[in-house]
Amino acid sequence: MPGWYYDKKELRHSPSAQDGIDYKTEMRYRKEGARLIINTGSKMDLGYNTMATGVVYYHRFYMFHSFKQFPRYVTACCCLFLAGKVEETPKKCKDIIKTAKSLLTDQKFTTFGEDPKEEVMTLERILLQTIKFDLQVEHPYQYLLKYAKCLKGDKQKLQKMVQMAWTFVNDSLCTTLALQWEPEIIAVALMYLAGKLSKFEVVDWMGRNTKHCRWWDMFVEDVTMDLLEDICHQVLDLYSQSDAPIHPDSPPLHSNAKQQMPSLRPSNGQEKTLSPDRPPSVNAKGPPLSDVPQFPYQTFTGAPPPAAAYASVFPSSMAGPPGGPPPHLSGPPPHIAAPPPAVFSYVNHPPPFSTVVPPGAPPYFPANAPPPGQPPQHRPYYPPQ
Amino acid sequence: MKMQTSSRDLEHNQNHHPGSSGSATGTHPHSTTMNMRDKEKYIETFLFPNCDLTEKYEKVTKIGQGTFGEVFKARDKSNPKKFVAMKKVLMDNEKEGFPITALREIRILQLLKHENVVNLIEICRTQASQHNRYRSTFYLVFDFCEHDLAGLLSNVNVKFSLGEIKKVVQQLLNGLYYIHSNKILHRDMKAANVLITKNGVLKLADFGLARAFSTNKSGVPNRFTNRVVTLWYRPPELLLGERNYGPPVDLWGAGCIMAEMWTRSPIMQGNSEQHQLTLISQLCGSITPAVWPTVETLDLYKKMDMPQKQKRKVKERLTPYLKDPYACDLLDKLLVLDPSKRADADTALNHDFFWTDPMPCDLGKMLGNHTTSMFEFLAPPRRANQMRHHSMPRPAASTITDGGYQDRVF
Repeated sequence: MPGWYYDKKELRHSPSAQDGIDYKTEMRYRKEGARLIINTGSKMDLGYNTMATGVVYYHRFYMFHSFKQFPRYVTACCCLFLAGKVEETPKKCKDIIKTAKSLLTDQKFTTFGEDPKEEVMTLERILLQTIKFDLQVEHPYQYLLKYAKCLKGDKQKLQKMVQMAWTFVNDSLCTTLALQWEPEIIAVALMYLAGKLSKFEVVDWMGRNTKHCRWWDMFVEDVTMDLLEDICHQVLDLYSQSDAPIHPDSPPLHSNAKQQMPSLRPSNGQEKTLSPDRPPSVNAKGPPLSDVPQFPYQTFTGAPPPAAAYASVFPSSMAGPPGGPPPHLSGPPPHIAAPPPAVFSYVNHPPPFSTVVPPGAPPYFPANAPPPGQPPQHRPYYPPQ
Repeated sequence: MKMQTSSRDLEHNQNHHPGSSGSATGTHPHSTTMNMRDKEKYIETFLFPNCDLTEKYEKVTKIGQGTFGEVFKARDKSNPKKFVAMKKVLMDNEKEGFPITALREIRILQLLKHENVVNLIEICRTQASQHNRYRSTFYLVFDFCEHDLAGLLSNVNVKFSLGEIKKVVQQLLNGLYYIHSNKILHRDMKAANVLITKNGVLKLADFGLARAFSTNKSGVPNRFTNRVVTLWYRPPELLLGERNYGPPVDLWGAGCIMAEMWTRSPIMQGNSEQHQLTLISQLCGSITPAVWPTVETLDLYKKMDMPQKQKRKVKERLTPYLKDPYACDLLDKLLVLDPSKRADADTALNHDFFWTDPMPCDLGKMLGNHTTSMFEFLAPPRRANQMRHHSMPRPAASTITDGGYQDRVF
């Protein structure tokens, strides 16, 4: 059974890479496809799970095929089409194509060929057999909400933190994180990031015991700070990228981008409550909370990456030249390790983890069921009449 | 083009079709995509490592017709002793691609892994080629089960002892307990969808109508379709238009199947929804707010003709068949009109029926006497409206045997 997780070396040796597409371009293609799925889904009022499932199919698909073989926007539509059916929010193929067309330039739409619907239909079967009919995909959202319910502290701050983490999860879809880490881990890492950025430090939580150093020790094991930081950086790197067409041979964007960014945006005074039971929708044009980073998908095109400012919460050593910790932090938390010297020097897959609390899946036979052939412990008496 | 051993090694055939896919160093992404002929070639030769070809199996015979396609018995070429059932996914006339019903069934089968639920091994594909417009056909591949309950019950030579009946019903309820615990409704309980291996292990099958359900915390009622379940096994709440139903719909079916273990044919063979309701009232008593307080809220309660003054006769009418008082009592708790009062799988499994002598006993020995596969699809049609009907099996006519098992083909 193929696992759906890859280490960074494997991600660098993707079919596209073997097909002559450089890594940076592939990451851009992945991001553009993911964004088309999200933008198309948002426009069609599809839920966040449907869009996220479509994006995961998309990333998995390109671990078996090259972007030269299958143009990214047709694949993106096909993934959304399938995810709609799987998540019980089906949309007509022609409507998905129509919506996607409205979001693409005519030139980009030419990859859909003369009969776009036929193109998607044929591709659907290829998609299904590529992803091994592994239709059920879990996303970090549910874990984010589950974990948030256990955290203690100022309610409003917690809500802001969850809202911000939620946005980071949305954005993480544009990375290959879903190909690297289980949704539980991504949820922990991005809540950690949001906690840092929203100044919400978790000091107490429900179910805490003496073995727990960090709140996430309750849910995941063997998650190192290095790993969390690596995940956070993969998301933050999105905000330091430009979407302007890049020549494959052009030099990489300046890696200091993060630290060049302006500081936190001023509050715009909007306030909206967030109930953990009613998660915010991805298709909200911007996160409702005032000082939550304003970077819905639409904003990373061209415009200066607003969220990159948040990189400043990391110790200066991470962002390049020393700049000192941001004023709101008394100093870098001691546990924050220096980042890996280069983003992709980390080729070994980090240690495996196991969930402490298996959350729902995989299915198990409840323990209170009477095993066949053995009398149950509490058997009511039914007098036959 | 040489077949590759790994997808990663698959050579992009640019060299074979010079100029077809633009220059590899082209800067515009679209100029580097394949043309149609290249793509077709690619689809034909790509070795999908996650989806095997149907050629690994050899079709033996057709054994049924599922909700969305035909079912075949097949042999695993790499292990001739291993048999599988292959269910074709029908995709003709599908405007919206791979059918959502098939996707649902696949997802549910991937979730459910239990001794008493049919096991999905894999999904296979046919080779894409010019002949199918580069679109594969897909088959769901299951572990093969030798019999289905409808087929067994239609054969008078198959005689179940009380202990064996208990084992069948216990496994049936165990399967239901498991799927309901996983928040899945089967929605098509009937004897033909209950498979039994030659070793006597029961497997719930055909999840083509199954769906996930949630116990609505929000208070918003579910709006499921009530056009499910074969009429003869359909519970009164569905016949009255309930859309916010749950596991009790499957327990009603389990009750009907349990009774059928003795009557040998379905106990209520209505020919219309109205007729089915009438038959239910004649067995379970009039459907009134007195026995079922919320029944008046159901859409069709006032629209259907509700037989009045019918006495509940479940025990009275079934005792001649069942004899065993515990069996009668359990059936009386399953065939309850009000779904909220119907026994759930857990309660039913705790019933004395399963915990008194004769205890449930292994079916393997009895089934060992029968070397012919018995499926309803292969059996002569059962005549309707005849409670005591025992159909005579026709002589087997089959050239294929597997370890002594013959398939009746007519």
